[in-house]
Amino acid sequence: MMLRSSFLVVVAVLVLGGCVTSHVEDARETVTGLNAGESIVIMAKSYHQGNETESDYITCVENALRSGSKGINVVPHQQFVDELFPWFEPRTVPADTKGLPILMKRPGVKQAVNDLGVRYIVWLDGDTERVAEGGSLSCAAGPGGGGCFGFAWWQNDADYEATVWDLDDYESAGSITADVSGTSFLPALVVPIPLIARTQTKACKGLASQLRSFIVQ
Amino acid sequence: MTNSLRFASFAVIAALVLAGCASTVSLEMPTIPEPRLEKIPVDVAVRIPDNFHNYVHTEDVLGRDKQTIQLGASNANFFSQLFDHMFESTVILSADDDPRELQFDALIEPSIEGFEFSTPGQTQSDAYSVWIRYRINVFDSAGNRASSWTVSAYGKSQKEGITGSDSLRRAAVLAMRDAAALIIMQMDKVSKIRQLADGPLDPASLEPEARVAGAAPEADQEDTEPASVIGVFAIGGIDDVAE
Repeated sequence: MMLRSSFLVVVAVLVLGGCVTSHVEDARETVTGLNAGESIVIMAKSYHQGNETESDYITCVENALRSGSKGINVVPHQQFVDELFPWFEPRTVPADTKGLPILMKRPGVKQAVNDLGVRYIVWLDGDTERVAEGGSLSCAAGPGGGGCFGFAWWQNDADYEATVWDLDDYESAGSITADVSGTSFLPALVVPIPLIARTQTKACKGLASQLRSFIVQ
Repeated sequence: MTNSLRFASFAVIAALVLAGCASTVSLEMPTIPEPRLEKIPVDVAVRIPDNFHNYVHTEDVLGRDKQTIQLGASNANFFSQLFDHMFESTVILSADDDPRELQFDALIEPSIEGFEFSTPGQTQSDAYSVWIRYRINVFDSAGNRASSWTVSAYGKSQKEGITGSDSLRRAAVLAMRDAAALIIMQMDKVSKIRQLADGPLDPASLEPEARVAGAAPEADQEDTEPASVIGVFAIGGIDDVAE
């Protein structure tokens, strides 16, 4: 009887385990396109404005955009920031596209952007947060062995927004949002079985896929 | 005897645990990318203070005893590179050099007024933050203080890895780059250093405390700020304390 109920719990957890719901959408303002030799750069909005986008998320989006047969050229964000120093430091980045014409008139800036072939700057905003957690799990070990018993769960929400700036026209081309929610489970009957919802990875892949479609059309 | 032995064992274990809590992070020599700007046509001499060659800051961190960050010579390297990029010609003075024996339009003397950092445990966040407050004194070729201003820089880096050492290093480098960005953007505007290429300031136009005999100011300058003291703060850009 005990064994059967434990089995049912495990099956239920497996069915529900690591479930992720995602919602990705874009809002276009202008026509986009990427010619041969043109590239994009992925940047995090400044932490001076309260943004906390993780650096590994930026790297994930960069890699996802580059990969595959439809991959696009992505300039590493640190290279872009260094080449245009000090105009893309967290304090000095232009807050909106109105600042772009003035920025491009600064000595060497337009030339550096052209040399890198950057057509679009994509500004990422948002982060992944744990919004809920519960359950309990306890483990014990003795001379004869050890084990865990219990059940724990947690929910992560990944909310990101990518705003695309067109450096040809100095205007915003639009934005893409990715809202992903994932619940992870950790049931334990002697051995813990982690059922992890890869919320941030899902948000990265979803946003990158939509971003590629948005830019290339 | 047994009690003494037990006490000694506990003392050794406690000492080991506490020693394990203290940590030191060393900053490797950061480099500043060549900035996209027009050089200011002024010949400058830069006096690097002694503590810029081996700056160490220790902070008591709750639950971690003490955490030390060794900036080493990174400040000396940082300002040498920065001013070399910014000005037409730059001479770096050592502590033994007498500036009166050299030809220059302006003497720049940076110093650190404050250094602080916070860890994720202190701020209940996932980030390390570093604040550095520099003071930049500018003197004309006659040794009169032309301006004195503070640059408050900030760097923040999300915690990565188990120890977070790399994140603290990155936050410190970002704070130094932030200071560089502020100095590049504002130096000419707030210090009017470009005017010093035309010769030293007219002594009659100076505040009494700005007139300094010789171009090697040794006195405590923090207590005697001239009327041209200008503050540059981390959040909110420039704040003119006095014109």
